[in-house]
Amino acid sequence: MAVSASTTGERGPFASLLTQLLRKPSQEQIVLLITLVLLVVFSVTLPGFSKLSNLLNLVRSISILGILGLGMGLIVISRGIDLSEVAIMAGSWSVALINIQHGMPVFWAVMTAVLIAVVIGVANGVMVAFVEAPALFVTLAAGFVIYGAAFWYAPSWVVYAPKPADAPYLLYLGHDQLFGIPVPIIVFALTAVGMHLFLSRTSTGRFIYSQGDNPEAARLTGIALRPLIVLEYVLVALLAWLAGLVWIGTTGSMQMGIVQGTYIFDVILVVVLGGISLVGGRGGVFSVVVGCALIGTLFNAFTIMDINSEVQNIIKGVVLLVAIILDNWLHPRDEETARQGE
Amino acid sequence: MNDVLIAPVPSASPASKPEPVLRIGHGSKIYGGVHAIEDIDFDLYAGEVHALVGENGAGKSTLCKAIAGAIKLTSGEYDVDGKPAEFERPRDALAAGICMVYQETSLVPTMTAAQNIELGNEKLLTRFRTLNIQAQQLLQSLNFHIDPATPVAMLGTAKRQMVEIARAVYNKARIIIFDEPTASLTPEEIIHFFNLVRDLRRRGVAIIYISHALEESLQISDRITVLRDGKLVVTARTAEMTREKLVRHMVGRDIAQTHYARAAKAANGGKPHVRGEKVLTVENVTMGMVVKNMSFSVYAGEVVGIAGLIGSGRTEIAKIVFGALKRNLINGGTIKLRGKPVRYRVPKQAIDAGIVYITEDRKQNGFFETMVVDDNVYLGKLSTRTGWRFLLSKLMRNELASHWVERLKISALQRKAKIVELSGGNQQKVVVAKSLVQDPLIVFFDEPTRGVDVGTIPEIHAQIRRLAEEGKAVVVISSYLPEVLAISDRILVARLGRIVAEFDAAEATEDRIMYAAIH
Repeated sequence: MAVSASTTGERGPFASLLTQLLRKPSQEQIVLLITLVLLVVFSVTLPGFSKLSNLLNLVRSISILGILGLGMGLIVISRGIDLSEVAIMAGSWSVALINIQHGMPVFWAVMTAVLIAVVIGVANGVMVAFVEAPALFVTLAAGFVIYGAAFWYAPSWVVYAPKPADAPYLLYLGHDQLFGIPVPIIVFALTAVGMHLFLSRTSTGRFIYSQGDNPEAARLTGIALRPLIVLEYVLVALLAWLAGLVWIGTTGSMQMGIVQGTYIFDVILVVVLGGISLVGGRGGVFSVVVGCALIGTLFNAFTIMDINSEVQNIIKGVVLLVAIILDNWLHPRDEETARQGE
Repeated sequence: MNDVLIAPVPSASPASKPEPVLRIGHGSKIYGGVHAIEDIDFDLYAGEVHALVGENGAGKSTLCKAIAGAIKLTSGEYDVDGKPAEFERPRDALAAGICMVYQETSLVPTMTAAQNIELGNEKLLTRFRTLNIQAQQLLQSLNFHIDPATPVAMLGTAKRQMVEIARAVYNKARIIIFDEPTASLTPEEIIHFFNLVRDLRRRGVAIIYISHALEESLQISDRITVLRDGKLVVTARTAEMTREKLVRHMVGRDIAQTHYARAAKAANGGKPHVRGEKVLTVENVTMGMVVKNMSFSVYAGEVVGIAGLIGSGRTEIAKIVFGALKRNLINGGTIKLRGKPVRYRVPKQAIDAGIVYITEDRKQNGFFETMVVDDNVYLGKLSTRTGWRFLLSKLMRNELASHWVERLKISALQRKAKIVELSGGNQQKVVVAKSLVQDPLIVFFDEPTRGVDVGTIPEIHAQIRRLAEEGKAVVVISSYLPEVLAISDRILVARLGRIVAEFDAAEATEDRIMYAAIH
C-alpha cells in the first residue's frame, strides 16, 4: 500500500511514516516494533499466551505501572524526576486505609489520601522551584520522610482495605470489570488519553516541553517556571494517588514494602525505555505506553515460562541498556552543529 | 623539580636566536563555512613577549586554541622548533611545553596550591610533606609568597594566577599563552605580574600575551600582532608602535563597510530623527563589581547602541532591567519605566510590561531545539498575558508564524524543520521573532548578529531600524563597532560597569568609541 501510494506521487501519512521508519526510526517506534515481534513470537511458541484472557491479564498487570509511568513521564519531560512517587502512592493510601479501620467514613478517608498527595506534591514542587534544590535529592528525601511518617502512623507492612461489600466504590477501579474489560485497563487508557491531550493540546503542556527543552530559554521567553514546576509535582502526586486507588482495588490492601523495593525503578524503566529522555523535552505519552507494553509482554511471557525473578531482573537491565544504546546510536549528538557559532 | 628552574637561561634577545620556537604559516580555521581565522602567519621566539591584540571576535582566541592544541587548523602549517606539530589534544601541546593560562583559572579550588601545581603529574603515591617542600622551593624561586598547603579557594585572584603560572613552570613550559591575565588584578598586582612576565622572559620562555588593555601590551611586549576579522593586519616591533597606530589597525575597516554605515544613516537621518517619549530610565544601578552606578535613558522611536568590551557590564544591565538576574545581587539604583520605578523579579513581569531581551547566546538560551520554527514563535505569544490561552490553536499558530516568517524573511522552506537544522542567521531570526511576537515597547538586542552569516546581517539591521520607526525603543548591545555605527541614533560606551561616553550618531567614529571603551 505504501509503495502504490508513493508511486502515484500522493504520499499519505502512512507512507511518510513508513519512509521515516525506514530512514531513522524513533526509539518509541523501535520499542513498539520489538514488542510486536515478541508478541508474535510468544503467541506462536507459548501455549495460552495469545488467549484473550491472558492478553487482558497482561494489560491489566501493567495498568498501575502505566499510570505511575504517566506521572513520571510528565516530570521527566520537564527535566525533573520524582523518586517519591511510589512512596506517595503507598503512604497516602496506608494512612487512608488505617483511618477507615479506625472508623473514618470511606469518602473522607479517600479525601485524606488526596490531601496528603497534594501536600507532598506542593512540598516537592516548592523545594525544587523556590528553594532550587535538585529534584533528585528533594524527592529521594521526600520518599524517606513519607515512608517513615506513614509507617509511624500505620505501623503495619500490609494495611488491609475493607471488604468489597463494605466499600464497593473504593475498590471498584481495581476490582471490577466493565463490558468484560477489567476496569484498571480502562483507567489506564483514559488517563493516557487525558495526559496526551494535556501535553499536546494545552499551552501548559507546551510549557512543560519548553521547560524540559531549555529551562533558561523558557524563563527568558517569559514562562513562569516556578508555578509550573509546583503544578508538575502536584500532578505526579495525584497520579500516584490514582495508581494507589487502582492498587488497593486489585490487591485489597496497601503494602508499605513496595516503597523499599525496586518498584520506582520499574516506573523509571518504562518511561526511559519508550524514549522520554532524561535530558528533557523529548518523548510523550506514547513512549510510556510502548514502554509498558514491552515490559508487560516480557513479564507475562516469563510468568508463563516460569522464569525466576533473578533472570527477570537481568533481562530488565539488558532491555534498558539496549534501548539506551540504540537511542545513542540512532540520534548521535551532532558535533558540528553544536560547535557552530563558536 | 629543581632542574626546571635552574635550566640554562639563553640570552633573551630574539635576534640572537633566529629559529622561532613556534611558527604558523597560512593558518586558517573554518567553523560552519565561516573563517574564524584566515591565512595567519605567526611566529614566536624564545625569550620574547608577543602581544596579540584585536577586537572581540578578531580571532585571537581561535589562534591561541590552535596553538594550544585545543582545536586543529583547517589548513596551514604549524611548526614547533622547526618540526611540524601534530597535536591531537591539549595534552600533547602541554607535553611539548606549550601551556595556556586561562582567564578563568583552571585550578581545583578545594585542593592546595601544591596539589594544584602537581595536578596531572601525580605519582601513584606522594607524601604531602615532599610535595609541599617541592612546591615551596618552586614558588620561592619564582618569588611567589604563597603557602603551598593553602587550599586554592582561600587564595585571591592574583595568587591563583601565580599558582597557575607555577604550574606552567613545573610543567617545563617553554611557551606560555596568557589570556587576559590582568583582567581581575589590582594595579599593584599588575606591576608584580609584569615583573614575573619579565622574569619568565629572562629564563627564555616565549610568551604570547592577549589583552584588551593596549597600554599593557605596549608596556610588556617585544612585538605586537594585530588581528582583525580573523585576518592578520600587522606584526611589528613594539618600539615602532603607538597607541593610536594600534587603535587604527584594530578598527580600520575597508571603505565599503564604512560606506554602508553612512548609507544606512543617511537613509534615516536625512531629517533629524525625532525622539519620542522617554520610556526607560536607568539611574545609578549597581551590581557587585560588574555594574557600577550605571545611568542612561532610552526614548521611544530611537535605536541606542551600547558599545563596550566584554566585561563592561553591558549585558548585565540589560539583564537587570529585564529581570533575568537574581534580585538579591543588585545593590542599588532605580529603573523607571515611563517615569514609574519598576523592579522585575522574573522576565515574565518585564515581558508583561513590554520589555523584551533577545539573548546574545541563542544556542544556550535562545530557542527550543526540539521544536519547529512555528512552535518556537507561538511559544513567545503564549507566554504573554494577552496571548495566553489554555488550548493551543493551530490556526493562530500558523497565522503568527506565517506573519513573522514573512516579515523577517525566515527561509520558509525550513518551517517544518527543527530549529537546530537552520543556519545561524535563520536561527537568530526565529529568536527575534519569538520576542517580537510579544509586542514589546522596549527591545534589547544583545549581539544581534553574532554567528550570523554575512548576507543576513543587513536584514537584521533593517529589522532593528524598522522597529524604531514603528515607535519602539530599541537598545542594541554590540561589540562590533560598524554595527553600532550603522544602526544607532545614539551611542553609549560602557567600560568597567559605567557608561563613560555618549555620542550622537553624527559625531561618532570607530576611533572615538574604541578610545572611550578601552582608555
